[in-house]
Amino acid sequence: MIAKRLRFKTSGATQFVDITSQLRDEVRRTGLRFGRIYLQSLHTTVGLAVNENEPLLLRDFQSLLERLAPSGAGYQHDDFARRFDIALDEPVNGHAHCRQLLLTGFATLLVEEGDLVLGQWQSVFAVELDGPRQRQLAVQLDGEFETEGSKSSPLGGEVARRESGDEHQSKHADQALVELELTRQLMIDPDPVALPMRRLVEAGGKRLRPRLVQLTARIGPRQEPLRAAALAAAVELLHNATLIHDDYVDESTHRRGRPTVAAAEGAERAIAVGDFYFAKATRLIAEIGNGDVTSTVAEALEAICASQIDDVALRGAFPGDHESYLKVVRGKTAALFAASCASGALLSEAKPEAVEALKRYGDLLGTAFQMADDMIDFSPSSGKPVGLDIRQRVLSLPLIYAAEDKAVGPEIRRLLAGTLGDAEVGRVTDLVRSSDALDRVGDEARSLVEAALRELEAVELDGLRPTLIGLAKSAVDRQS
Amino acid sequence: MRAQAPVIGRELERLDGLWEDGLSDTYRSYLDAVVSYEEEAQPKLALAAALIEAGLRLQGLGGRAAPAAALLMGDLCLARASRLIADTASQSLQVAFARAIEELSATAASGGTGKPVRELLVGALESGR
Repeated sequence: MIAKRLRFKTSGATQFVDITSQLRDEVRRTGLRFGRIYLQSLHTTVGLAVNENEPLLLRDFQSLLERLAPSGAGYQHDDFARRFDIALDEPVNGHAHCRQLLLTGFATLLVEEGDLVLGQWQSVFAVELDGPRQRQLAVQLDGEFETEGSKSSPLGGEVARRESGDEHQSKHADQALVELELTRQLMIDPDPVALPMRRLVEAGGKRLRPRLVQLTARIGPRQEPLRAAALAAAVELLHNATLIHDDYVDESTHRRGRPTVAAAEGAERAIAVGDFYFAKATRLIAEIGNGDVTSTVAEALEAICASQIDDVALRGAFPGDHESYLKVVRGKTAALFAASCASGALLSEAKPEAVEALKRYGDLLGTAFQMADDMIDFSPSSGKPVGLDIRQRVLSLPLIYAAEDKAVGPEIRRLLAGTLGDAEVGRVTDLVRSSDALDRVGDEARSLVEAALRELEAVELDGLRPTLIGLAKSAVDRQS
Repeated sequence: MRAQAPVIGRELERLDGLWEDGLSDTYRSYLDAVVSYEEEAQPKLALAAALIEAGLRLQGLGGRAAPAAALLMGDLCLARASRLIADTASQSLQVAFARAIEELSATAASGGTGKPVRELLVGALESGR
């Protein structure tokens, strides 16, 4: 069990402070795999809540608290003439205490697979009721911290945990470096671009691409963790920049449980923020001073952008076919996985054959990762809204396979040809689940992972083979 | 169709119609700014600058947001330019180009009016020598 204090400063009288990302960071930092976080407010005018971080809704909550316990409504607690031992700076805050009574001062959050278990719309808030003040919460993390063991997955496989103690420590050190570098970079940018990006970065994400950069940067003779972290953070910024534009194109309202930049701040801001971090990431990579790395990432970015155009064009022929799917996915997702692997290896001055093998590993892994992502769209336990890909007419391999199925295919194709309301999306989801499409996609993803691992067989990996194997398997055997 | 340097044709794949739709004029407007670079690099650098200008225009940066298809085409222009610069330009020029886009997009995000795109990109070409 680990005990900590979470300290923060509030800036308003009533304020919903979203502490989700800080809690996620604690989980990551401590290596808690399965267990619980216990939270306790250490103040009588700070409450805790789990709800949606939607600015207008937060205003509704504030209005509700004001209606239920209005400020200045003649609280006996505020009648200092009748109280004893009053501090000189005793605030008039009867309303705040009453409001705290309506909330809770305690919360237990579940942790699975090294992350908080939260629904898509859920965020964890410390609710300031008498600010602004310096505040703190008591936090205890309890459960299974080790990495040995196994877990079940929606693909039905067992994910072997093969990290040694040293590797586990190294992973956390790598993650800390990347998070530090991301924080540092976002701190120095102008607010209009930095704040939306900070919200997106702090909301989480798997950080798989930076992880691949850092791992492969340990393969060649030139191993410099700080340079690798700088490259890894730049790749993550680049990835997030593409997501910001994607969300505008897909008309997505939420990502990682938060409103998208386009939804929260408008399309114009989303375009500008995406462009800024596209440029900044390419600059940061250029400043590293390795021309091969710069070219590798630039080629990947070009492939991503070309595939986005194909992806949108193919929505006219929804659900598409296997060949078109692979073409889009190899550009849209796998290209940056491949570039992450290759660029890390290039940075470490690994041998050309190792760079090429890792690039192919990344390409296959990225494709398998996307297939697993497609499957999650049909999983009710993922925490994400089921059927989002169907609703947005995004290419999805389970849907392609189900549409080819003799039994359910005709009905699926008929439904997809029409307007997709809740009932239609629900029916298509049920039909896909009733077919063997998800099994086929799972098999295909696993066989791609096997192919990815074969790429590593002939390469000297300086002891990183088990980690790369574990990472590949966990990238497809996942629940979110 | 206006004449292209052979290298230009190869770099216009998937950007159909842009050359005729003003990219050629934009490209020519940058040729003076690249004369001090190696001869082989000149068309690529001028094209990179022209693609950035065209890409930002397609996206509607600093103005009304472009529809999805135009935004994606703009993104591809920027990515193509980025790859051309990575393959052709010195580190200092790569950084100068990136900083120009950072300045333009930060200004757009804040709702302000900054220097014109061309002025910034020509400045980048001059400072990156």
